[in-house]
Amino acid sequence: MDGRDRGCEARPGEGSSAIVTSAVHDMGGAPERFGPIPVEADEPVFHHAWEARVLATTLLSRAMLGNNVDAFRWTMERLPAAQYLAGYYQRWLAGLERSLVDQSVLAPGELDARLAGRAPPARGRVRPGALRRARWRRLVRVAVRPVPRWLLPLYLRIQRKHRPAVAPPRFAIGDRVVVSAAPAAGHTRRPRYAWGKRGTIVGVHGAMVLPDRRARGERGPGEHLYTVELAGAELWGGDAEPGTTVRLDLFESYLEALP
Amino acid sequence: MTEDPAARIGALEAILTEKGIIDSETVERIISYFETRVGPMTGARVVARAWVDAAFRERLLADATRAIAELGIGGLQAEHLVAVENTPRTHNVVVCTLCSCYPWAVLGLPPAWYKSPEYRSRVVREPRKVLAEMGLALPPETEVRVWDSSAELRYLVVPERPPGTEALDEEALAQLVTRDSMIGVGSPRAPGEPESAR
Repeated sequence: MDGRDRGCEARPGEGSSAIVTSAVHDMGGAPERFGPIPVEADEPVFHHAWEARVLATTLLSRAMLGNNVDAFRWTMERLPAAQYLAGYYQRWLAGLERSLVDQSVLAPGELDARLAGRAPPARGRVRPGALRRARWRRLVRVAVRPVPRWLLPLYLRIQRKHRPAVAPPRFAIGDRVVVSAAPAAGHTRRPRYAWGKRGTIVGVHGAMVLPDRRARGERGPGEHLYTVELAGAELWGGDAEPGTTVRLDLFESYLEALP
Repeated sequence: MTEDPAARIGALEAILTEKGIIDSETVERIISYFETRVGPMTGARVVARAWVDAAFRERLLADATRAIAELGIGGLQAEHLVAVENTPRTHNVVVCTLCSCYPWAVLGLPPAWYKSPEYRSRVVREPRKVLAEMGLALPPETEVRVWDSSAELRYLVVPERPPGTEALDEEALAQLVTRDSMIGVGSPRAPGEPESAR
């Protein structure tokens, strides 16, 4: 079904328009992922100590290196499907490694050499100036005690993703829209199951960072974000469960007006 | 290439420490935050307050990030928090089909099933069946509203206050609010019902 299980690497030597994504991460409604929900009684926060280390190392190094969450998601989305599906923290670990190599913080083979007890073929580099600049960020981002009350306003000012927009919002509550069905050219937060489907604007949230752009490391103005309600029958046709709707948070460029 | 994740993350930590990017004290502090400082007990405080304080409930539904800040609550993955309220007519349930977005600062880290391909794929497609399977059978006249956290808004479900709890104070009410009821796949405990992890 529309290439969900295809390979997912960028083809070398071709531009970003040639990136083929497996979209293995884009799971909404995908029947090949269906199965009993694996509910576990008395589940621990972490199942293994290494999972906690993956989470903490990822959050800390991301903050210190200034890597944003959209770029990290995009890196994980491009992992081979089997690696993506190996498990949540396996995926984080693979994503962390790959983003560090992409940034030349890790040289290719550096980690494997360390694991084999060999001298690395090359070492990745870090600019010390960049790390110095990052230290203040660490204070608010990941010096995680629960953020103290007095620090909350500052924390929210830094962390909230609202940005000035170039234009007023195009849509208002009650407007009918259709979700773009254009193929994804890279990272996007426009789930496939909603492509080409019609819905109604039920929330208008101001302008925020567009993940598609930020995943490429680009800045730019904010884009208006909306909550769109789609009826089950619109999404799934006649065998949708009656009386069900899905609400998605979608950016303005994901939407077209319906007459 | 070794596939043992414990060995790989250990070696990676060592390299990143040598490069001055991470330090073990901060790594430990982050782990302890997720293990001990955040969890569903925080969200339960928010829900219990909304049950007893109508003005707070209004503020919570209008701007949850600002409302929880009144209780000194806030932080990672609650910067754009949205509270959605269950009523006899509408039941809310939360998912992230594209990854596993979850309001960490109020609920802690998500359970494994929330991150599973099975939940992520099915709950938008057949929410009633999924909820029934998880022990929550809804009458056909209740509309099921699935929130797919596709941007940076994070959702907290405010379940209905259980009947027979009029005499309970806020603290006792918070004990009834389960993690699953704040994701929308369960109900709060009835008074006297034994505590379970979910």
